[in-house]
Amino acid sequence: MASLLLSPENQIQRLNYIINKVKTLQELELSQLTTAPNLKSWNIVEVLEHLNIAYGIYMPRLDEAYTKLPAIDSGPSEFKARWWQKIVIAGQRPKNGVRKWKMKTLKRFEPLLDKQTLTPEKIDTVFETFFTCHAHLKEAILKSRNKDVTQVKIISAIGPIVNFYLPECFEFLLCHMERHMLQIDEILGETDLSF
Amino acid sequence: MNDEAFLHLKAFFPQVALTEQEEHHFKSLWSVKTFNQYDLITEAGNVERYFYFVLEGVQAIYILNEKGEKVVLGFSYSGSPSGAFDSFIKKQPSDTFLEALKPSKMVAISFKDYQSLFEKHPDFYAWGHEFFQQILFGRLHREVELLTLSAEQRYKTFMQRCPDELKVIPQKYLASYLNMKPETFSRLRASASY
Repeated sequence: MASLLLSPENQIQRLNYIINKVKTLQELELSQLTTAPNLKSWNIVEVLEHLNIAYGIYMPRLDEAYTKLPAIDSGPSEFKARWWQKIVIAGQRPKNGVRKWKMKTLKRFEPLLDKQTLTPEKIDTVFETFFTCHAHLKEAILKSRNKDVTQVKIISAIGPIVNFYLPECFEFLLCHMERHMLQIDEILGETDLSF
Repeated sequence: MNDEAFLHLKAFFPQVALTEQEEHHFKSLWSVKTFNQYDLITEAGNVERYFYFVLEGVQAIYILNEKGEKVVLGFSYSGSPSGAFDSFIKKQPSDTFLEALKPSKMVAISFKDYQSLFEKHPDFYAWGHEFFQQILFGRLHREVELLTLSAEQRYKTFMQRCPDELKVIPQKYLASYLNMKPETFSRLRASASY
């Protein structure tokens, strides 16, 4: 398997793309945001809430990691993902616009939103939380450019079975988001809102 | 912005004659921005908010290729303009990054204020004509060099014309700009003195 080289610039570019995309989602009609293609699926707001929950677990872990990471003067460089982490990341990464290995969401990552009472105010809160979380992620990636990221590992949200160096963690989160952006495209494509 | 910096900025617009009052207003449209080494001044995916004029430092403008590698398109340095100009004009997310390779001090003008210069002072059209002509000729010249010269010739031509402050930036950026591997650049640097 070819090595996976991670660079903060590539990650920032992809994160900006996702943030821009979510900004455009904010312009959609309420019905487009709250209608799921079928009873088992999530609607767009639920997908975003799921991403907020997922990042909420990493946010304090990233903050803690930064208290321990030494600075470097040599400037940003690429980071080679380790083999097990590469497999975990590949499990999330969409390939050619397709979500591979669809998996059941663990209970603690499920967006527990009451679809009946999803008011515009509640939806705004979900969007605002998304932008706050992902501004934090952007800042974390930017800060990593002058830190020695080989010094601290963080435990993943699914437990010690997977740990990440920071660039691996960012890549995992980005692939997870890219996966869900694709899901949003699918929701928009599948949802028939004509009456 | 101090007087010396303003003199440098004014010299960048030789076609423009302003009264004292107009000059005062012109100066007020620019704000000083400082960046640490390796700061990203502009990120790909964001809209470029400013047109910059460089007071100090060196910056690289680059794009990421399919493998995620940096491909350096150009540099800016003391006395030159800087920024992701296409994104600035089109107000669309930039495809390129602008990175400070050395601690940098620049003055910046917003799109709205940049546009107002043309509306209020027709002299800026004469400046714009000259500026875009120079940019076009520069890019054509570079294209010819990349397509017709050998690696050694590209290295030699570049080292002869580039300002000294560019010669001390990390080699990988210069190598990428000259479309050669860092090892090739290093070998050429060791074997030649220009």
